[in-house]
Parts: sequence; structure tokens; C-alpha cells
Amino acid sequence: MSTDTDKPCCPINNLALTYAALLLRLWLAVRAIQTGIEKYSGKTDVEDLVTIDGKANEYGLTAGGTVKTYALDHYHGVPTALMKQFEAQPLMPKFGLPLYDKILGPALIILGLTILLGIASRTSLFLLGLLYISLTWGLILINQNDGVAWLGTHMVLIAMALMIADHNRLTILKKW
Amino acid sequence: MNSQHSSISRRSFLSKTVAGAGAGLVLGAPNILRAAEPGAADTIHVALLGFGKQGEVLFNCLRNIPGLHFQAVCDISNWNRKKGMGQVRSLQGSAPKGYSDIEEMLSTEKGLDAVVIATPDFWHSPHTVMCLEAGLHVYCEKMMSNTIDGARAMVKAMEKTGKLCQIGHQRRSNPRYRYTLDNLINGQKICGQIVNINGQWNRSLGASQDIGGEKLSKSIIVPDDTLRRYGFKDMHQFMNWRTYRDLSGGPISDLGAHQIDIYSWFLGVQPVSVFASGGNDYFKKREHFDNVMCIMDFETPQGGVRAFYQVLTTTSNGGGFWESFMGTEATIKISEIASSSAIYREDGAPSWDSLVERGYLKRKPAPPKPAPSADAVASYESAAPEEFDLPGGFNKPAHQPHLENFFNAVRKNDIKILNCDARHAFTSEAPIYWVNPSALKKERIEFTSEHLSV
Repeated sequence: MSTDTDKPCCPINNLALTYAALLLRLWLAVRAIQTGIEKYSGKTDVEDLVTIDGKANEYGLTAGGTVKTYALDHYHGVPTALMKQFEAQPLMPKFGLPLYDKILGPALIILGLTILLGIASRTSLFLLGLLYISLTWGLILINQNDGVAWLGTHMVLIAMALMIADHNRLTILKKW
Repeated sequence: MNSQHSSISRRSFLSKTVAGAGAGLVLGAPNILRAAEPGAADTIHVALLGFGKQGEVLFNCLRNIPGLHFQAVCDISNWNRKKGMGQVRSLQGSAPKGYSDIEEMLSTEKGLDAVVIATPDFWHSPHTVMCLEAGLHVYCEKMMSNTIDGARAMVKAMEKTGKLCQIGHQRRSNPRYRYTLDNLINGQKICGQIVNINGQWNRSLGASQDIGGEKLSKSIIVPDDTLRRYGFKDMHQFMNWRTYRDLSGGPISDLGAHQIDIYSWFLGVQPVSVFASGGNDYFKKREHFDNVMCIMDFETPQGGVRAFYQVLTTTSNGGGFWESFMGTEATIKISEIASSSAIYREDGAPSWDSLVERGYLKRKPAPPKPAPSADAVASYESAAPEEFDLPGGFNKPAHQPHLENFFNAVRKNDIKILNCDARHAFTSEAPIYWVNPSALKKERIEFTSEHLSV
């Protein structure tokens, strides 16, 4: 006697798992890449000429404002406010914090790209999970439980992506 | 400097600046503002005469102006001269020539176009006349001179040589001041009839102390024979010349001249009289009064204007420095410091809603109404005026627009471009020379043409 569970997986279910793998991969990649890029964002002061009677004034009177810009000079791996809290933690290795600050942004971008392009997807997902664990540990130290829960959600998504990694298609390097 | 390449008029410069700013000028972009290459055809070759505190302030503006090459630095102090030469070298990559004597500089340096003078007041006139006669255009710090005859000599030299001479009343090129005069006072006439002016520069004791001290570092000491050759009795005089009667006009000229200049400029007339009071209220040994107050009467086509001014170097409360033009319909309180400025509409004056909509003014949020108090006699009080502000500001060092104006005029070789040539500066400075005499004699001085003309 055979049951439904003994049947080989139907093509529709395979397609659904493939879509699920692709969507998870896209989500995790976008999340990591844009988070990394945001670490290069900053505010830049701009001055625009004041308009009087519909024309730019000829005196050079300007009104100030700020715009968001991206530049290498703006880079901040760990936000300044959090950095100060981390520095105050006795369990935080002081030598490691500046290094972590430097590699966090590039690491997120690189891992996001490898996941997006399908380069060693499983290892990339695993490394991204480790990165999120490191962030989680930091947030536990400074008692930011909301952040811990938020990262926990990411970990669940990474675990799911790993579980259906066999259905991952459109990859550059399937190995690892 | 090649005149073919120097046809940047004030208007075209403004429009280019405006276009750049309109596109969203990003602050802090010094890479587009490098000093000029010495050999470039449109480069203006500049000498810096005097590199003390004010000389450095001016240089920090000059370094932002394209097309300038700093060829020489002249200062009798080795410390100042080396400081200036070092700052020029770091800006343009090559050291300028250094001189301790202006005559040597003028006879040695070839190809100079202009000089920026920031020496002590009593040297302004001789230095300016010397440079104009040597064929240079001159930007000279205010006060024009420590004496009215010195100032007269500068005007005469400018007109005789045909060279440009701009005096450092930098508010004359300040976009906020120019906009206020052209658009609000003369254009929209928001003040109605101006009937009163108040102005002040109140400076704390801490900021008014003598510079230096008993023991000076060897590196900043100027040899005695050099000091005497250039009119200083000793290092104290050299470092604190502003407090000596033979070397400067004191606080009323040092600080007050900036603001009294605005009185005459905005009203378009010279005062008809001055009555002043002053004293050594705290600094008993200083030659100049430490606190001075004066009342000037103006007669304008609209009617009489009473103008009060005080300079205090002993206490700072009262909001620092500002000028307040009080009219029947509005008061414009303006200062180089934007946050000290405000515009108040009198209760009963025509509405300014249309001006706000068209961008001429910004409305400030109304302050919360104070709770009724038992000691107030409400029926005697005028309603609190509505508060407004200028529609914008500018983000440059305060002296930069005035220096830009000077070098635009130099490129065009057109005195009409200057915002404060020596003759116009003299018109507003002349009455200031009579404030100290009025305070000393405790007499009101009715001005005649002898007092106020070149």
C-alpha cells in the first residue's frame, strides 16, 4: 500500500520550493546589501538660493538644508551611539571593536552579493548567520531586546533558506 | 593679469554663483577654490601687508577666492610674517617672498596687482597712499585712519592715481544687509518712516583685556629698534595699539565704525550733529575710553532720525552687536550674526502676508503670550509686534563677499563695482572722527562741511 507521502514530489511543489528559495535569497540579499550600503550614507549640508517673486534672488541669499549622500568618508560600521555603549561593556574585547566596525559594512555587502548571485549560497548563508549572531550578542550585552528579536527573525529566514537550498536555482557557483 | 581674461563683471559673477548655488551648492568644496597658478593669464598677484590677527582673518577668506596668487607677505614681526608665509605656502605650494619693510617690498616685487592691508590703523593711510602711488589696487581694513586727515589723504590718493581702493566695511557687501536695504527699506518700504536707530557693540571684560603680558615668548618679540622705526614705543603698544590715542581711534572707531557706517549707508545721508559721552569706567590706565555712547541726528528727506550708538568694552549683555532701524511701521534689527537679527511689524501697519507669500520675508513663530501679571497696566502697553526674519542667509566667512567684490572690481578695473570705495567710506567715517572729541569736550558738535568733507 502506498500513501501520499511516499509519492515523489510533484513538479508544482518543486516549483513552489524553487520560488520560495529565490524569494528568500532575494530578501536576505537585499537586506544585507542595502544595510551595508547605508553604512556609507551621511548628511551633507546644501544651500539653495532663496526664491523671491518666483525668481532666484540676485543677492546670493540662501536657505540651508541637508541631503542624504553616500561616500566612503561617511562610513560608520557600528553607529556612534551604539559604539559608546559597546565600549562600556566589560565583556566586549576592546581590540576587536574597531576591527569589527571596519569590516561590518563591507561584510554585509559582500555576503549579500554572493547570496544574490548564487555564489556558494549555503556557505554564504551560514556566514551571514554568523554575522547576525555576532550582532545579536552585542545587542544582548546592551540590553536591546527588540533588536535581538528582530535579528532572530533573520536567523529563522536564513535557516529556512538553508533548508531549501537544494531548490535554489539560477546560481553561479552551486558548490558549497 | 590679462584684461582680456578678466571680464568677469559683478553681475556675471553673481549670476554664476547663483547658478551654482541654485543647483544645490554643496558646502565645503575647497577643491574648486584652489589658489591660482602664478603664470595664469587672469591671475591677480596679491601682496599681504600685515599678517596679525585681522590679516589672518582676511587670508582665510582670500584663500576661498579663485584666481589669486599671493606673491608677497610683509610684516615687521618675524612671527606674523613667517605665519603668513607658511599659510600661503600650504595653500599654493610655493612660499611667497617675505618682507619686513613695505618700501623694500614695493621696490623689489614686480608684477603685483593688488595689496590687502591689515596693519594697525595709524599705518593705514601711509601704507595705502604708498601702494596706490606704486600702482597697486588697495583693499584696506577699516578704520581708514586714526585721523580724519589720514582718511582724506587716502581718498585723494585714490582719485589722483585712478587705482581702486576698497575700505573694509565688510557689511556693505553682506548679502543680508544689501538685500535689507534694497528690498525691504527702499523697495517695499516696510519700515515706513525711519525715526530712530539704535546700535551697540557690547564686549565682555574677558574679550577686552590687553594682549600679551609681562613675559612674552622670544619668538614673538620684535626688536626695539624695529618697533621704534615703525612708530611703536614697546611691545605692549605693538600688541595693543587699539588702546593708544596716537595709534587708533579706540573702541568707537575699532568697533563702532562698522555699525555707524550702516547708519549713514542705510539712510543715505550724513548726520548733522553728534553728542557723545565716554569714560575710563574700568580700564583706568587706558588712553582711550572703554565705554562710549553717542547720539547722532540725521535729517533725511522723510524727516528727522535720532540715532544712538554705544560701544562697551566692559560688559557684554544685551545681545552682542547689532543695529536696529526703527520706523513707524516696522523695526529691522540686523546684525552680522544672523541669529541676532529680526524684523518686527508694528501693530496697525499694513499686513505683510503678501510679502511672506512672495518670499520677501519669513514669519517667525509667535512667542507664547505671557500670563497676565498684577503689575502690568495693559491699557498703556502697545501690542507686541509680529516677528519676521529675512528669507535666507549666506554661508561664507563675513569678510569674503567684500573681498570678492574688491577683486571683481580689480578684474574689471571699474570703481563703480566697488561696494565701499575710499570716498564712500569717508562719507560715513567722517562723523565718527568727531565722537571722541565730543566726549572729551562734553560738547555737542554741529557738523559743517569742514567736519565732513574731503
